[in-house]
Amino acid sequence: MTDNVHSLVGPYVLDAVDDLERAAFERHLRSCDDCRAEVAELREAAVRLADDLWSVPPPALRDTVLTEITNTRQLTPSPAPSPAPARSPRRLRLVAAAAVVVAAVGAGAAVYAVQDQRVRDERAVAEAARAAEERIRAVLSAPDLEVREQPLTSGGRVTVASSRLTDAGVIMLAADSAPADGRVYQLWTLRGDSPTSAGALAEGQAATVRIVPGLPASSGVGVTIEPVPGSAKPTQPLDALVSL
Amino acid sequence: MDERAPLTPVPSPAPDAGALLGQVARGDEKAFARLYDLVAPRIHGLVRRVLRDSSQAEEVTQEVLVEIWRRAPQYDPGRGSPTAWMFTIAHRRAVDRARSEQAAADRTVRIGIAAVDTPYDSVADEVAVRLERKQVRHCLHQLTDLQRQAVTLAYFQGNTYPQVAEILGTPLPTIKSRMRDGLARLRDCLSAGVTA
Repeated sequence: MTDNVHSLVGPYVLDAVDDLERAAFERHLRSCDDCRAEVAELREAAVRLADDLWSVPPPALRDTVLTEITNTRQLTPSPAPSPAPARSPRRLRLVAAAAVVVAAVGAGAAVYAVQDQRVRDERAVAEAARAAEERIRAVLSAPDLEVREQPLTSGGRVTVASSRLTDAGVIMLAADSAPADGRVYQLWTLRGDSPTSAGALAEGQAATVRIVPGLPASSGVGVTIEPVPGSAKPTQPLDALVSL
Repeated sequence: MDERAPLTPVPSPAPDAGALLGQVARGDEKAFARLYDLVAPRIHGLVRRVLRDSSQAEEVTQEVLVEIWRRAPQYDPGRGSPTAWMFTIAHRRAVDRARSEQAAADRTVRIGIAAVDTPYDSVADEVAVRLERKQVRHCLHQLTDLQRQAVTLAYFQGNTYPQVAEILGTPLPTIKSRMRDGLARLRDCLSAGVTA
């Protein structure tokens, strides 16, 4: 399955991947010396595509940039790259799968916009969506990421990736189809026996990616099919249970 | 035109970009000014090509150059040329901006302004880099049509590979492979030093 991630090498070098695929590919790179060498070589070729392009920026830009750098602190040199920790192919596959689910639901932006209806201003929604994607990316690239997956009784699967370091988790639901009319998928986090809603999907929605702060403190993640627009407590049998 | 800005194109920033970047990494602001003169026109050219909007291109060019200053201490010569490092930052930023929803909104607002402004650099745009340009053009034409289209639709227009697949009506795995083998062929041709 590593091959699947690696097949993104061309799109990655051309920046033709989305953020989550980029994160998945960069995780793959950390554990693969040959891949890093291939990326470096292809990148040297790709940047030559810019040979043709030349456009002198307005002179004022130079002054702006030179002023800005006097107020910009430089990063410290990176530490020598540590030996890459072994990554299981399964885990890579799951991270790549997360990318695919996110792509399938529209890069998470649409989902987040539905989730947070208080935010009416379009600009704020766009920024919130970007922030959510950033947070999802941060969780998925955490070094202590643990990934678990269960099939849905109704068809499809739910994947839970959680990281203590970031104290957050990502729930990825990919059902084969949306529930019947008047019913929606709903996600729950479990602490002991008491479930807390982690959000219901919209009617007709079969896939989502949700970031859940504090997820590592939960004992599990459940999925049920509830009447629209979701329930305060589960009223239906579990469609899937992922124990953490 | 500012007298400090180079009026004639420098064929390649490669010769001493590495040395300058090393000085910049130690916080040398004068070295950064020289690096700016060396690479800013090419970075701006690339960003402008991807974004096709002059005011956004200026903003992103500014962000890229400040980013180069900020991250210079982390540049590792063992991992690639200074040019590749700087242009990777520039390309990624340009593509990210092109894809952001904000950009879509901004573009619609700015179309009016762009239409009345005469681009100050419409002439400078035509000023060209000579030798290398010929070489990369020659090499692009050594690619198959599908390889060339896949590579250029992504690199110059910021399309994702699924978008490229849709535009070309070609399956996703094929597009991924053509991007990879297209770049490999480009690399082989460029390193063979062929000039047209």
